[in-house]
Amino acid sequence: MANVSLKHIYKVYPNGTKAVNDFNMDIADKEFIVFVGPSGCGKSTTLRMIAGLEDISAGELKIGDTVVNDMEPKDRDIAMVFQNYALYPHMTVYENIAFGLRLRKLPKDEIHNKVVEAAEILGITEYLNKKPKEMSGGQRQRVALGRAIVREPKVMLLDEPLSNLDAKLRTQMRAEISKLYKKLGTTFIYVTHDQVEAMTMGTRIVVMKNGYVQQIDTPKNLYNYPANKFVAGFIGTPQMSFFEGTLKKDGEFVIIKFDRSNAEIKAPYSMLYKAKPSILDGKTKVYIGLRAEDISVVDNAGKDCAVIDVVVSHKEELGSETLIYGELCGGEEGAGESRIIIKDDGGREINAGDVVKVALDIGKVHLFDKETERSVMPRIPEYNYLDCQVKDGKLIFHNASFDLPSAVKCVDAKGELLLPLNAVTLDGELKAEVLSCEYINGVYLLSMSINGNRLFALSREKVESSTVNIGIDFKKITVIADGEKVIQPIPEVNSFDCSFIKRKTRRSIEQNGKVKNKKMIEFGFLTEDVFFAASDEAAQKIFSALGVKKAVTSQFKMECGIYDISVSDSGIPACVNRILDYGKDIFLKCAVGENTVYVKTDKEYVGDIFLAPDMDKIGIAESERDIKII
Amino acid sequence: MDLEYLKMSPPEKFWFNFKGFFKRLPTAFAAFFKAIPKKLYKLWLAFAGIFINIGKAARDGDWKTRSSFGVMGFGLIARKQYLRGILYLVFEVLFILYMALFGWKYLSKMGSLGEIARVEVWDDALGSYTYKYYDNSLLILLYSLLTLFIMAGFIYVWYQNVKGSFLMQQLSEAKLKLPTVKDELRSYANENYHKSLLSVPLLGLIVFTILPIFFMIFIAFTNFDKVHYPPKELFQWVGMDNFVNVLGGGVSANSKVFAYTFGEVLLWTIVWAIFATFTNYILGMIVAILINKKGVRGKKIFRTILVMTIAVPQFVSLMFMSQLLDDKGLFNNILINLGWISNPIPFLTNGTMARITIIVVNIWIGIPYSMLICTGILMNIPEDLYESARIDGASPVRAYMKITLPYMLHITTPYLITQFIGNLNNFNVIFLLTGGTPSTMDMLYAGKTDLLITWLYKLTVSESQYGLASVIGIFTFVIVAVLSLILYNRSKSVKNEEDFM
Amino acid sequence: MENKKFASKKGRERATLVIIYAVLILISLVWLIPFFILVIQSFSSNSGMAADTLFPKQWTFDNYVKLFTETKFMTWYGNTMLVSVVVTVFQTVIVLMTSYALSRLRFKMRKPLMNVMLILGMFPGFLSMTAVYFVLKEINLTQNLIGLMLVYSASSAMQYYICKGFFDTIPKSLDEAARIDGASRHTVFVKIILPLAKPIIIYTILTAFIAPWGEYMFSSFIMLGDPDKYTVAVGMKSWLDNSVLAGEYFTVFCAAAVVVSIPITALFIWLQRYYVEGVTGGSVKG
Repeated sequence: MANVSLKHIYKVYPNGTKAVNDFNMDIADKEFIVFVGPSGCGKSTTLRMIAGLEDISAGELKIGDTVVNDMEPKDRDIAMVFQNYALYPHMTVYENIAFGLRLRKLPKDEIHNKVVEAAEILGITEYLNKKPKEMSGGQRQRVALGRAIVREPKVMLLDEPLSNLDAKLRTQMRAEISKLYKKLGTTFIYVTHDQVEAMTMGTRIVVMKNGYVQQIDTPKNLYNYPANKFVAGFIGTPQMSFFEGTLKKDGEFVIIKFDRSNAEIKAPYSMLYKAKPSILDGKTKVYIGLRAEDISVVDNAGKDCAVIDVVVSHKEELGSETLIYGELCGGEEGAGESRIIIKDDGGREINAGDVVKVALDIGKVHLFDKETERSVMPRIPEYNYLDCQVKDGKLIFHNASFDLPSAVKCVDAKGELLLPLNAVTLDGELKAEVLSCEYINGVYLLSMSINGNRLFALSREKVESSTVNIGIDFKKITVIADGEKVIQPIPEVNSFDCSFIKRKTRRSIEQNGKVKNKKMIEFGFLTEDVFFAASDEAAQKIFSALGVKKAVTSQFKMECGIYDISVSDSGIPACVNRILDYGKDIFLKCAVGENTVYVKTDKEYVGDIFLAPDMDKIGIAESERDIKII
Repeated sequence: MDLEYLKMSPPEKFWFNFKGFFKRLPTAFAAFFKAIPKKLYKLWLAFAGIFINIGKAARDGDWKTRSSFGVMGFGLIARKQYLRGILYLVFEVLFILYMALFGWKYLSKMGSLGEIARVEVWDDALGSYTYKYYDNSLLILLYSLLTLFIMAGFIYVWYQNVKGSFLMQQLSEAKLKLPTVKDELRSYANENYHKSLLSVPLLGLIVFTILPIFFMIFIAFTNFDKVHYPPKELFQWVGMDNFVNVLGGGVSANSKVFAYTFGEVLLWTIVWAIFATFTNYILGMIVAILINKKGVRGKKIFRTILVMTIAVPQFVSLMFMSQLLDDKGLFNNILINLGWISNPIPFLTNGTMARITIIVVNIWIGIPYSMLICTGILMNIPEDLYESARIDGASPVRAYMKITLPYMLHITTPYLITQFIGNLNNFNVIFLLTGGTPSTMDMLYAGKTDLLITWLYKLTVSESQYGLASVIGIFTFVIVAVLSLILYNRSKSVKNEEDFM
Repeated sequence: MENKKFASKKGRERATLVIIYAVLILISLVWLIPFFILVIQSFSSNSGMAADTLFPKQWTFDNYVKLFTETKFMTWYGNTMLVSVVVTVFQTVIVLMTSYALSRLRFKMRKPLMNVMLILGMFPGFLSMTAVYFVLKEINLTQNLIGLMLVYSASSAMQYYICKGFFDTIPKSLDEAARIDGASRHTVFVKIILPLAKPIIIYTILTAFIAPWGEYMFSSFIMLGDPDKYTVAVGMKSWLDNSVLAGEYFTVFCAAAVVVSIPITALFIWLQRYYVEGVTGGSVKG
């Protein structure tokens, strides 16, 4: 009964391969978390690190409130169920379940009661006297579950527990594990490669690939809002169909063209308003993804209906419904995917070779970038992409104009404005009409209209009014004109090279009324030949990630937000290059060695100054393996 | 593998591989010896690492750490690591006592191996001269070597002590928890469990295998023989003389004969090992196939009959065979009695005949064993392989050549290599069967059937030629080691050890 | 037509089987006859002269009587038995410990250690004998059974190979499950691995027990000159070494051989299953 927190967890093998990269997650008490992904994606490794069967290369793992990185598995208060059951073959079922309790030296009666109780829950009472060999796979897995629950662990870990069972038994055990989860009220972490198991059992799912977390979300959100093409393809059966194509905005409509089809589809822009505007140019290639249930066979195509021709290649009758596999027809040969999977529940007579008309539900379409494969129509857009103009020190877009602060003054230009959603503040002077307010994972996404043009913003509270006043945070904006960034945001984080060293100091300490000069040893970071003492907590984190020997020989990167560093009497020597005045805030652009550093300031400084980072807020990463430690 | 190869007929393929093996052999040898400097360099790096660690401890250590350079365990005791600290301290005291009372006495004489062996003195009580014994070269060498081993051990422990003290210092500076005595003890059932498990086996290995090996290597550089036999006489260091003698470059007339003998014995050893290994293997496999043939009944009985012969101690079967096949043995006697021959067949007294006899008897001894192994593997060959071969219309012989043999070879390579090494050093068969006879005047202390190992036995036990024997031993070791390491490396793909994941 | 073909195929198969049986029976005879002769000769009264017939002219128990009354065979037998039992205990424990450590535990020196042991195994064991002899002599353990036990047990670690191979086949997840259940590595070894390793333990015991009965090289060297401390192998060979005695003692030798072989063979046949498992498992693994 505990939460589990993974912070910057890495698994790096001695030969340098990274099995798990920067795994971050907070698992709340009583959650059922499923790690899912193809084999070799690092899901089992992560689970084994939580169990303590695998060393954690870097990062911090907490179970409850304790850091358990260096704890033996037995002290972590976890239980694990293995794929191959791992029952002790020479012991009876009873002994198998009692083994852990006996090692913990519980009284005999208590052991007996617990074993019998667990056996009853799992319905294996009659087998207690049998050896694992005499039992079927399903029964064995029950025993393995019994062995785990009898210990009443804080966290239950299950490593592909159903993979060795046949399909029917798997479904049955799936339900039983879900039931068990509800009954026990313990945190479950479950690893599987089967997305059906993941979708049916998990309260939240972690999709992994090649050691990287792809997306963490509830099953429903994963299905409806996949963050990239991999997640979209991995979650859901039958697989999502992907086509390459282009989109072009044409007034209130968007025209969709497929590489492998002659058909053109005209869809209202309101269905695709979240799409990144730059892809709607009719040239940029994107993946257009649609799930089988969002594609249907239609008998007669009405006008203006999104319909394309498909050649049926084969079909799968599933009884209640039929899956039709087909190919788009026409278009360029060999230009990407043409396979399409259609779920059809009508009793149509369709045969291989037939050409059928197919309607696409553009409201449910998913769009992914061709290079990065990331969604270009995410639930929360990253930026507002706007055409803009800089003229006479004013930024003009959507027929609204803003005075540019001196920090970002530039020559007149025409170009594109990249306005991050959090750069749109709700305390300005420009009036905007609220079109919608959508709750997404803890924040509200506001969709507004300024002079008929769309603009997104985020809000912590629900916005009920029909209009809001908006302003712009100029620190975060980018303006691109003729391929050049004429206005750039300030980087939010400064980074310094540093090393971790030990220092001896003498400090006067008053003890029993006498002042003693005591030798002290402290650890800290050395950057640009300046020493900053590290907090005990920070030092501990570095030591536990690297060990006492490597900690003092490794190279680090210190990261420090622009608000978390200040001008001081002593510290890192820097030279002010420029003063950036954003109106409300003033920043200094300074040179430190060869690096450029930005500092928030109250006064304007000129020439040489000293900078002091706030040591409680810095981030530290090991340079060689690129591992975040704090 | 290219397409040319796939086009070849089986004999062509065989010839291609055969040629290839010998073509690659020099490269394999070269690669083997080329790898040595790389390994040495790695070793040197590890060695340098030790000095770097010591240097760091000296530079960054506080007074507690630095004190443990002199007083072992001090740094640990000062940080309340009593268990380890006191053990280190006790170890140091014992070591000093050992060196002062015993070790140094011998070690100081190692260079000369002793000055005076014995002196004749008049014994009043007995009324005659008796000998008073002083230096014994053998014991000096043995104990100096032991002392060197103990010193090496001491240096290792000392280094561990410095490293441990420094680590404790670093831990306490980092404000991490230091292990308690209880933690320490518990770790010997957990992360240090290998130390608990391996200490006794390794101690036995060091004292009874590694120390003696070093001793013999040192002996190879002395003139320890019948004439220089302690405690009556001393023996001295003679440098490379023994090596020169064995290779035929020595001054004495014996040296040429010795070199000849060495060559002859070595040649026969290798021939023997090859024949002994492969005849057993192939015939054993055939017997196994026959027994396991579908439809053959009484598999268990046939197998038990053969297994029974393993149970009879080898020396019984071998000595009995040697008696049976003797010129005056039962076998010849019966044949003469029956009138089939008039003179005994020289099974063990004619050089060539004896060698053949040995190989045949070895087959008799060895087949049951290789049959067992092959049976185990044969049962593991998936049945569908044969079925598909039969559907393809392969004859049994073809199936054997195409499926059984490659499969077996693939799986039993490590076994074959160990067998080969075992046969190179096979003492029992030769010694108990012929004792190395028939003897010949051409060779020194060796008979026609002597292997290197039995020759060694004779050189030491009956001739007391310890120095020369050691040289032969070293040569044997080098030959066996190089051959088998190359073979092992070549079959590494087969031998791939499991690991996590 | 069809039928005929079928019949001929069956006939051919039968012919093959007949040939196989013939070969197998022949092989069995070749392997059994020498032992048969050995047994027969042990009942022969042909003392003094070598026999010249397969079956003795006169049957007698004299050889056995002589064996137990006139020779030191009983002493040798006792010596060997004692050495065997003690060595078996030590060797089994050492082999199991080494194998477990090398198979299941991961430590820095694991691979180097395995390589060193591999290379040590190539050193002619006899060479080290001289030094061992002098070491033993210094601590007064030559011509002493304890010395022999020490020598036999000391380098047992090198025989880890087959046992380790067996341990490697036990799934790692069992260890992991036990560790999560709260077992230390020691507990895993004692409570999980050992109970599962019964076949290989029996194999190790069997081979360790049999070895001293047939070993000649080391025991002859250590026991040189003290017939009271001989093992059966050394003692029985001493009868045949002397060509004067050889003829006379040949039949006694046969009797002794029978006495030595019977219990071991019985043990062997009883535990054959484990032996076969060990041998095949150990060599297949690689």
